[in-house]
Parts: sequence; structure tokens; C-alpha cells
Amino acid sequence: MRRRRHLTAALVVIAALTAVPVAIAATTTISMSGATSSFPLIELLASKYSKLKNNSVRFKIAQGGASVGIADAAAGRVSIGNSSRAPQTGDPSGLYFYPIAKYFVCIVTNSSNTLSNLTAPQAQQIFTGKVRNWSQVPGATATGSIDVYSRTSVAGVLTTFQNTLLGNSKVGSFATQEPSEGLMQNAVKKDASGIGFLSDYFALAKGLNAVGYAGTGCSVANVVSGTYPGVSDFYEVTKGPASGQNQAFIYWIQSSATAKKIIESNWIPLGKIQPVVKSH
Amino acid sequence: MVVFVTARAAPLFSSQGLSWLGSGGDVDTQIGAMANGATHVQVHLWPLIYGSLLTTALAIVLALAISLLTAIFIVDLAPARVRSLMLPVIRLLASVPSVIYGLIGILVLVPFVGNDLISAGQKESVINVIQLTGAGLLVSVVILTVMVTPIITALTVEALASVPRSWHEGAVALGLNPVRATITVSLRAIRPAIVAATALAAARALGEAIVIDMVSGGKSFSPNPADGLIFIYEPLRTMASTIIDQGENLSVPAVRSTVYALALLLMVSGLVLSLASRLIRRSFRRYELSS
Amino acid sequence: MATSEPLRPPLASAPRQRRGRRSSVRSWRLRDQVVWLCAWLAGALLCLVAGAIVVFLAVKGLAFLRPSLLVESPSASVDQAGSGGFLDPMIGTLTMAAIGTLLATPLAVASALWVVEYGRPRRLAALVETAIEVVAATPDIVLAIFGLALFQFGIFAPLSFRAGAGGVYGRSFFAAGIMMSLIALPLTYTATRNGLRATPRQLREASYALGKTRIATIRRVLLPKVRSDIATGATLGLGRIIGSTAIVVLLLGATLQNSPQGSVPLLGFLRGTGSTLTSYIFENSPAGEGNAPQKAYAAAFVLIVIVLVLNAVVARISRVGAAAAGSSGRLTL
Repeated sequence: MRRRRHLTAALVVIAALTAVPVAIAATTTISMSGATSSFPLIELLASKYSKLKNNSVRFKIAQGGASVGIADAAAGRVSIGNSSRAPQTGDPSGLYFYPIAKYFVCIVTNSSNTLSNLTAPQAQQIFTGKVRNWSQVPGATATGSIDVYSRTSVAGVLTTFQNTLLGNSKVGSFATQEPSEGLMQNAVKKDASGIGFLSDYFALAKGLNAVGYAGTGCSVANVVSGTYPGVSDFYEVTKGPASGQNQAFIYWIQSSATAKKIIESNWIPLGKIQPVVKSH
Repeated sequence: MVVFVTARAAPLFSSQGLSWLGSGGDVDTQIGAMANGATHVQVHLWPLIYGSLLTTALAIVLALAISLLTAIFIVDLAPARVRSLMLPVIRLLASVPSVIYGLIGILVLVPFVGNDLISAGQKESVINVIQLTGAGLLVSVVILTVMVTPIITALTVEALASVPRSWHEGAVALGLNPVRATITVSLRAIRPAIVAATALAAARALGEAIVIDMVSGGKSFSPNPADGLIFIYEPLRTMASTIIDQGENLSVPAVRSTVYALALLLMVSGLVLSLASRLIRRSFRRYELSS
Repeated sequence: MATSEPLRPPLASAPRQRRGRRSSVRSWRLRDQVVWLCAWLAGALLCLVAGAIVVFLAVKGLAFLRPSLLVESPSASVDQAGSGGFLDPMIGTLTMAAIGTLLATPLAVASALWVVEYGRPRRLAALVETAIEVVAATPDIVLAIFGLALFQFGIFAPLSFRAGAGGVYGRSFFAAGIMMSLIALPLTYTATRNGLRATPRQLREASYALGKTRIATIRRVLLPKVRSDIATGATLGLGRIIGSTAIVVLLLGATLQNSPQGSVPLLGFLRGTGSTLTSYIFENSPAGEGNAPQKAYAAAFVLIVIVLVLNAVVARISRVGAAAAGSSGRLTL
């Protein structure tokens, strides 16, 4: 007899616990995945937005690389994908890319290697493997063979780098491929003969030497003035036009002053709101 | 579970037949192209399979040698106090989580190999193909050996303890010294148990993803013995570490089939290993005397 | 009859054997001496490695372990080197262990009982044994991948949550916990089954003779008898759960802090994502983004302390169990 009472009590508790979440549907969760370069920015924006909405909107942000975000958005696995590159052939169709900010890519070396500038042909030779020793690079204080670090192919920053700073040639397959900005940053910080490329948030951190390109230093000022070429956009990607909470969030990023201030802390705002770019 | 994994892997078979088991081209590039949406990419996963086979085989060989010697040590040679210390030691080693092995590997062994063992000249010689950073075959095999040895040792010691003492003493009475007696009599008697332990250890080594991911260099390169000593420094990638690396990429159907095909291979090899060990044990039964 | 000399002098080594001492190593053949040396080296090597690992972790871990680390949550930024502790990962590890063991133990004990006590139809029993062996032989990573695919189906949506565009996220404490129980299942099952097989038939027969039904026998006689075996198996499974990283990395959503899903207290937590000590160590090592090896060391130290404690518990339980099995022949009915 006692056991049956315990059993029914347990059942009632379980029923209550499962019924309640059905009743409470007030909080929305926006899930995102994608570029590791825009992750710091998205995290700041997301936490600010959550606070503004009194935690009725929460975020789950994963990473993986721009192509992962795009594929996840297309498959419906996440609400919004973060991309650090424009749509290219091969991306699933039906996706909407909303630009939210601009970023730039710097070539970086270890802080012990005070290389100040690389010309365009020099950069190309180093990253495609034609030049493999620091002794052949004027201005470099490192010695020995060059350890080239690159990104895995799902990275948007890789696409930007190859298109803007390498003259559309590809990084050689001998290079060590790091899966994220953070890992690339760690790798170059630890390797005195290392060279790699990073988005500005990661490149301008302590412990790294940001190398100038074709005579122009890698800095926000030079990007704004238009003299530094390694620039691209961060995009928010949705399947079909953004709707509901997703749209509210993206619109907030593109239009509110608070968001603009966050973007300006380490990146570059868009200026005028750009028109949407569709894939296919 | 078998059905599910096979179903997910099926598209790979249908688009490429069995050629994906072969070699050709750089796996990283191929998977990367798939992830970026390229269609009809031919993928050849042999470098991954080779990586898994190489690390597992080397680790098992080393571990067997060390384990058998240690078992002899524990059973015959160790003074009683040391013997009672060894068993907890082995159990401890066997229960250390793999991520801690990986941590020590990547924070201690990899820099050591990279800075102290690999010379600049060696780096230069392969510089146009790969970069040697210390993470590679050597560290992977060393750590796998350390992980797998306790398993084989513990099982061997247990099996040795179950051999009737009279057999050993009979051999000694015939004039053999104790170590030789153990080798020729007891170890041969427990051959089935050794086989079983090795199969278990091999399955563990094959499936070890996290540790390899941390210390193997992450480049799908096939270390070539013809390169001489440098062979042990070359980076590689195994099937299991690839599955973990691509774990986020599963939204892309092509990547998903590839990853599941690898998972299928791992599952099948685990089953084959346990089946093989059972068969071998059964064949050994012919030699067993009823005691 | 005159006392005769022994026809042959006794073998030089015989007296030594009878006394139980080893023959001097120097008298062996060279090959055996080499083996002797190698065996000593191997044994020493193993002890050295084990000692080195523990000492190294202790030194590095204690150097970086501060009490605040145990009670603070990880900071929300990518760079972990600055601040934050690992309270969330510790809670995550505990939750994982709890879910895994709670799910695995009843299932394992029930299966073992069924196979040993009932076991008909024979085919089914053999199938169960094979299935458990298959699961035991499967590497962690394959289980993780399988879980990843499994929990994306619509019916499992309550276990995690639905993303905006209709796909199921599929990664949560529930998902990881269920897969963890699969790891622990074979260990508990084998231990329980061996314990059941080792109980003498007389125990059961006496109980039936006294008129107890089979179920009552199981409940009142057998289960208490194999309690220590169940405990051993469950603790072994627990150890394996705590140490498993692959499943956590793939199935827990990889957020540094535990972020519950929905506002119901317990269920929301279980449906949410988070991290455990193992994924925390992974993330903070040079293989992950955190770039905080000091935190990784500290967490590794905590983890290995937990593992050591578990080992000691297992040793204690199996010793107590063996003593009890040896001494008691009493039936408690």
C-alpha cells in the first residue's frame, strides 16, 4: 500500500515537471554557429542584447568556422550562422547574408620577429612555399626555416586572406592548418619562426607582431582611410529571410547606437546599412 | 546502432564504391572542399587508415614487450613489498582519463620533441612538404603505449596467477631458472589470455580520439619509413581524431557520410578484433591440458 | 645392509630450491640474464612513469590550484587565462556521473539477473550477451557520433531544444548522459553477472525449498549477496564516465558555462548545454582555445584526485565484498 502511494507521488511530480515547460514558453533561444573571427564580436553583442531584453532572449553560440555556420544555418541546425566571408559558389541556396560589420586581416609573426612590412610578392612567396627560410626575407629578425600557419578550409578568414592579400593564390599544403583564430594565435605566439594571418581582434593582441602589407601598416586607421586592402565583412546568415527574434536581433545590430559602439571597440562599422546579399 | 551508422555512411559507398579506402590526394583538402559545398569530391581516406594502423600497431608492439616483461617482473622477480605496490600502480595508470595523458603529451612531450629532439637540419630536409613541430608519430605512439600497457599487464598478471603453481614448480625442479620457467611454461599456457588482452588494448588504441587529436599534428600525412629517422617525427591523422575534428561539420551531407564511414570502419574493426580474439582463444584450447 | 653412499651427489641447486630461494642470477644463461634485466627495467619503468605522472600533476596542479577556482564559474570570454574558475565543469562532471550511473545500473542489474536466473529463450540471452559485448568493444568516439545523429530526430526534441529554423540541436546533458550510461553498462553488467554466477546453487535451492518464489528469492537473497559486485561494477563504470572526453566534447554543446534551457529548474538544466572537467581541460590545453594551461593543470589535478578516490573506493568495496562472501553462509530470508 505504501509503495503504491510513493509511486503515485513520484508520477505526479514528474508530470508536473514536464507540464510546466510546456506552459512556460516565454524565453527564446537563438542558436548560432560559425566563424571564429566574429565570435568575440557576436558574444559581446549577444550578451548586451540579452540584457536589454531582460533575459527573455538567450543565445547559444558555437563556433566551427564560417562554412560550418553557413551549412548549419542551411540545415536548420542553428537559427543564425556567423560568416566571415561573402557567399560563394558551393554554398547552399536560399540563404540570406546580412552584413553587420567590417573586419580586416593582418599577417602576423611572433613578437620576437620584428618584421615590419612585406610586399605583395613576398607575402605570396612565403605562403605558397617558394621562400622557406627567414634569411631570404629582408627585415626579418627570425632565423631558420619559416613555420607557416594557415587555417582549415572552412575558415572565412582564409578566403579573405587569399583573395585580398595573396592575389587569389592559395596557401601551400605544407602549412600547418589551425582550426580557429584562437589556435592560430596561440601557435604563432609560441613559435619564434612562425608566420600566419589573423583577423584584427586576434592579430592586434599582445605577444604578436602585426606585419604591414605593401608599405601600409595593419591598423584601423589605414582601413578606414581605404589604404589597407585586407578588408571584408562579417555576415549573419539565415535560411530564408530573417524573421521573428532573429530578425529583431539582426536589425538591432545593424541599426542601434549601442551595437555600433560595441562594433567600434575593435572592428569597423558598416557606415550606411548595406543591402542584403543573397546566395544564388 | 550498426544499422544507423551504415545507413548514414551509405551515400559514400554509392558515390564512390570502395575507392574511398584507397589513397590519392590530400585528405585535408578533400574534406575541406566538401565542407565548402563542392559536389562530387572524390575522397581517399587511406592516409587516415594508415595513420590509425601505424600508431596502433607500433603502440601494441611496444606495449606487449613492456607488459610481458613487467608481468614477469611482478610475478617472479619483485620482492613482496614491491609487488603489492605494483598492482595499485597499474590500476592507477589504467584509470587515468585520456585527456590528462593528452595534456601531459601536449604540454611536455611535444615541446620536448620539437625543441630538443628535432634538429634544424631535419626540419630543413622536409620543409617543402611538411613542417615538423614535434607533434607527430613519436609522441602519439609513446602516449598510446603508456595508455595501453597497464591493460595488457593487468590482464596478464591475473592470468599468470591462475596458472597452477605446480606447473611452474615442476619446470623449476627440472632445472630451469624461474624466469625461463615462466616464459616457457606459464606464458605459453596463458596465450589465449594474452591474445584477448592484446585485442582489447588494440581496440582501445584504435578508438582513442582525444589524445591523438592533441598530439598527432593534425595533418593527414602518411609518415614514410623511407624517410629515415625523421619518419618518427612526421605528423599524421587517424580515423578517430578526424571524426572528432569534423564533429561540427556534420551539416554538410558529404562530410557526414565520410565521417560515418570512418565510424563504421572503427566499429567493424572493434568487432573484428573481438571476434578474432575469440577464435584464436578457441584454437589455443587444443593445447590446454586439463589440470 | 650397509649404509651406502648416495649414488649420485645431489644437484647443486636442489637444496636452494627446497629452501625456496631463487637460484643466483649469475648462474643463468646469458639470454635469461638479459631477460631478467629487461624485466626489472620494465617494472621500474612503469613505476617511474606512474610516479612521474602523479608527481608532475600534483606539483603543477597545486601550483595553480586556488580555492577560488573551485567555486567560481568560468568567465564568459574566449581567453580563459584571466579569471574564472571551474565550478561549472565540476557540476557538469557530477551531473554526467549521476545520470550515467542512475541509468546504467538498474538496466545492467536487471539484464544480468534476467540472463543468469531466467535466460530463456536461449537465443535471446545469447543476443543480450553479444549486444553488451558489442557496446563494450565500441570506441567512445563511435558512441558519441551515434548519439549526435540519434538525438537530432524530432522525437528527442524535448531532450534538448529546437533551433530557430526547425532543426533539433541535439546536444545537452540528457544526450550526453544517455550515451555515458552506455559506457558504464557493460562494466556493471559483467560485474553483476560474475557475482551472480559465483553464488552457490545451494543458496537459491534453499530459498526455493523454503517456499519463496523466484522473484522474492532474487529480491531478498541474491541481490543483497551481490551488492558489493554491483557496487564494484558501478564504480568502475563511474570511473570510465568521469574520464570520458569524446562524448562530452561532441554531445554537450561545448559551452564553458552550464546554460540551462527553459526555466524549469532541474529539467531545464539537463536540457541545456555545458561542460565537464574533461572538456574543460581539453579546451584550456593548447589543443583548445582557452590558452590557460595553468587552469588545465589545476583541473587535471582535481580530476585525478577524484579518480584516485574512486579507485580506493573500488578496492575497499571489493575487499569488503570478498570478506563477506567468504564468511557468511547465512541466509537472510
